[in-house]
Amino acid sequence: MAPLLQVEDLKTHFHLRDGVVKAVDGITFHVDKGETVGIVGESGSGKSITSLSIMRLVPEPGRIVHGRILFGANGQPKDVVKMTDEEIRDFRGSDVSMIFQDPMTSLNPVLRIGFQVREAMSAHDRFSDEQSKSRVVPLLKKVRIPGAADRTKAFPHQFSGGMRQRVMIAMGLSNEPSLLIADEPTTALDVTVQAQIIELLRDLNREMGTAIILITHNLAVVASICTRVIVMYAGRIVEEGYTRDIFKNPQHPYTWSLLRSMPRLDAARHSKLLTISGLPPDMSNPPPGCKFHPRCRFRVDRCLEEEPPLGEVGPNQFARCWVLMRNALVTQPEKAAAAEVPIPPLTAEPAQIDQRSEPDRPGAVKA
Amino acid sequence: MATAPSDYVFQDEFTADSTYEVGEAVSLWKDAWRRLTSNYFALFGLAVIVLLLLVAIVSQFWTPYPTWKQGIGPTYGGPSAAHPFGLDQVGRDILSRLMGGAAIALAVGLGTALLSSVIGIALGLLAGFYRGWVDTMISLLINVWYGIPDLLVVMLFVVIINSRELKWIIVAISITAWLNMARLVRGQTLALREREFVEAARSIGTRDVGLLTRHILPNALGPIIVQATYLIPAAILFEAFLSFLGLGAPPPEPSWGAMCAEGYKSLQLAAHVTLVPAFALAITLIALNAFGDGLRDALDPRMRR
Amino acid sequence: MTLETSPEVESRVVDKQLALVSVEDVTKHFPIGAGLLGGGSAVRAVDGVSFEVRAGETLGLVGESGCGKSTLGRVIAQLHPATSGKVIFQGQDLVPMRGEKLRRMRQELQMIFQDPYASLNPRMTVGEIIGEPLKNFGLARGKERSNRVHEVMRTCGLNPNFLNRYPHEFSGGQRQRIGIARALVLNPTFIVADEPISALDVSIQAQIVNLMEDLQNRFKLTYLFIAHDLSVVRHLSDRVAVMYLGKIMEIADSHSIYENPLHPYTKALLSSIPIPDPDLEAKRQPILLQGEIPSPVNPPSGCRFHTRCPIAQFPICSEQVPPLESKVDGHLAACHFAGQL
Repeated sequence: MAPLLQVEDLKTHFHLRDGVVKAVDGITFHVDKGETVGIVGESGSGKSITSLSIMRLVPEPGRIVHGRILFGANGQPKDVVKMTDEEIRDFRGSDVSMIFQDPMTSLNPVLRIGFQVREAMSAHDRFSDEQSKSRVVPLLKKVRIPGAADRTKAFPHQFSGGMRQRVMIAMGLSNEPSLLIADEPTTALDVTVQAQIIELLRDLNREMGTAIILITHNLAVVASICTRVIVMYAGRIVEEGYTRDIFKNPQHPYTWSLLRSMPRLDAARHSKLLTISGLPPDMSNPPPGCKFHPRCRFRVDRCLEEEPPLGEVGPNQFARCWVLMRNALVTQPEKAAAAEVPIPPLTAEPAQIDQRSEPDRPGAVKA
Repeated sequence: MATAPSDYVFQDEFTADSTYEVGEAVSLWKDAWRRLTSNYFALFGLAVIVLLLLVAIVSQFWTPYPTWKQGIGPTYGGPSAAHPFGLDQVGRDILSRLMGGAAIALAVGLGTALLSSVIGIALGLLAGFYRGWVDTMISLLINVWYGIPDLLVVMLFVVIINSRELKWIIVAISITAWLNMARLVRGQTLALREREFVEAARSIGTRDVGLLTRHILPNALGPIIVQATYLIPAAILFEAFLSFLGLGAPPPEPSWGAMCAEGYKSLQLAAHVTLVPAFALAITLIALNAFGDGLRDALDPRMRR
Repeated sequence: MTLETSPEVESRVVDKQLALVSVEDVTKHFPIGAGLLGGGSAVRAVDGVSFEVRAGETLGLVGESGCGKSTLGRVIAQLHPATSGKVIFQGQDLVPMRGEKLRRMRQELQMIFQDPYASLNPRMTVGEIIGEPLKNFGLARGKERSNRVHEVMRTCGLNPNFLNRYPHEFSGGQRQRIGIARALVLNPTFIVADEPISALDVSIQAQIVNLMEDLQNRFKLTYLFIAHDLSVVRHLSDRVAVMYLGKIMEIADSHSIYENPLHPYTKALLSSIPIPDPDLEAKRQPILLQGEIPSPVNPPSGCRFHTRCPIAQFPICSEQVPPLESKVDGHLAACHFAGQL
């Protein structure tokens, strides 16, 4: 079966006065129907520009200069890059919708919530006006907004950050798109609220079969929700594979180091963190060869001159590296050992507890 | 920001960060200068100001004829080779008087801008930094002052001082002109004092004087300079207006405003007596405002990439 | 003589039983809408908090946004005056101190700020920024001052050749090092670090965390480390205090808090944090709290957490404020039903 989304050799460049910034430089990946794929990377890795390219929302002076973005599972997939303005308007919000980090700036402060959700539907002709109207409350219920019927009259500022993000998700799902792109949807939120939103996204993915691309810098969030992971660095995919493989058996030194540089909730105190030296590259003047080599502790001479291809390193796992961790751990064990962080097993499982989540418990605050 | 690896020597520990060259040293002022010089209208303004400054300086040592000497040639004499801008109603050389007038205009403009800026900055800093009753008093003063017509203040001042010397004219205009500067600085200070770097400066034991002079004032300097630049043409215009009314620099001082006033009675007879100083005034004001606008655009942080 | 071998550092005591800072019943209210005729209400950002920070330890202070943790940090660092209560540091109450006396105390008590972009004066060079504390206290002049600045820069992993550069020429991680150097140059005993890594890129965070640990060991520093990221706090802290809506809910040594949380809020907080391990994640089931943190202008009666608590019992939880008391040896929790979730 054809994938839902197939991105082929996508290049999105920014032509600035002092040169070209190759924000996204030749990436290829796919998303299957109903799948959850995480795209992780630091600021400047190109993860957000990738998602904006899929929506054809790349800000000036950026332009998609090369590649195809094929969308559509059944029948003939259409190339988003070649769509007319009319087609792209219909595509956005209807086939694919996107939610952003800051839900406040995406909502109009002077319009009521219910109206804004309805408007998201009336912009497309999937539902009649009558249908749109009757769908508002169920949609808000679906994203677990307590007292949904009363809350349609409220204005965005009367909602908390988490509730606004739920409204954005409701709007994003209102036309039943087959793909939802979530760009750092929980970064601005507190951890307890983040957990609620992740749980919501996971449930919606299960119930409605909506595929999700989750763009984030937080590897832990990816581990909790995504089936596949794409790791980006300096505009390129450096590693790709099933979540379990990437986390248990990363082959690219960047992925490997990143996982060891993060303090973990289940790791005891004073295990020295691994540091990735240096800074993410300046994208207007990237280093030659492998883009990660200035920061890589396992690099060999070849890395300085020649950029490695994204090669298959295992079943459905790909990495862009000449060395690969499975070799580095054998040939350069001292470098790996110097950095290895002992991670003790989780002793007390904090979550073997019955949870209570009845929505309208007495005394519960309507946030 | 441009950061390029200066060498690829691998360093494991935290010093590694500093093996990376930081970007080229471009100070904020240099950046602003680059933007200012790419604005042709502002450059025109700057050129006129420089010219004016030169003329004003020269006029202190040399003018074709003494600015006060009457009967050099025919009364209301038109432009000629000896008197390019002609002669006025008592036969004084207009070019000479125009040059002398440039010095007066610049003295009034710069003097007022400086003096009223000092008053405005001081009061604005105090009000914004200490807030509370200090702010209440200063804000009250500003609001009451706004309600009193400038002309009334100046006239009262001139009467009380009983002198129309140029320095008193400057003081008189300054005590009406500091209000906007004070408001601007107060607003800037209120915003800046809440900034984290000011809080940080407090935490390292910086005294109030240091907070004001090292942390708050330098960061408000951009808008202050712009505001001061606008004060110059406003003061020149105000002085011209006062002279026109006969309240400015006393005769025979060649103030442009006084020259306009003296000539306009005979506008139909000899238009050049009024038009020449009026034109000089207009060009000067346009140039100063153009330069002010250019400076504002150059220093505006929103313009900074 | 280097900073490290200075007599101040030599004589510094590391005794994780001894209180260096005692916070006693501190409140901080920000009045809102108070007119000329008085009235109006207040944001009760910190509302009766007591704890101590012990010599040479790192106390982690965690909570969600709006819980008052940053305000508390600033009250302890004497950047905001406390509304009431005591902050006893080296035997002296800082709260009533004003003027020169308070300014002198700041030598011992420094702060690292969250936003490395906002906390450095853009009009000053790096050398001026790091040298300013010395200037303020007249501690070193001329060559001596610049030597100290050089030394501190190297200690913090900055290249002293960049002394004359401006902050905007540096990356976020480098700027945070500048902020740390500025705090360190006075050779303080106690540092309040307000979310020092949350504004940085993931790959840079570890550099700063390691730097802070290293500095603590070398200079026998005591940290109050404020963060919302419980993973980092676990990594750095000897003890942890959990804050919710202006009050401390639980305080204990790091191991007990993470392995055996007694307060239902702590438990929910811990279960909300994803772990970068898909196998563990598949097994874990977060305790989802209802709603979000209520407004500190009008906090809930009784236990402040009762509106979101999965084990709240009524009316006791909505009427009686549970005291922060020792439940198991030295493990303090403010809950009527501690350990029952």
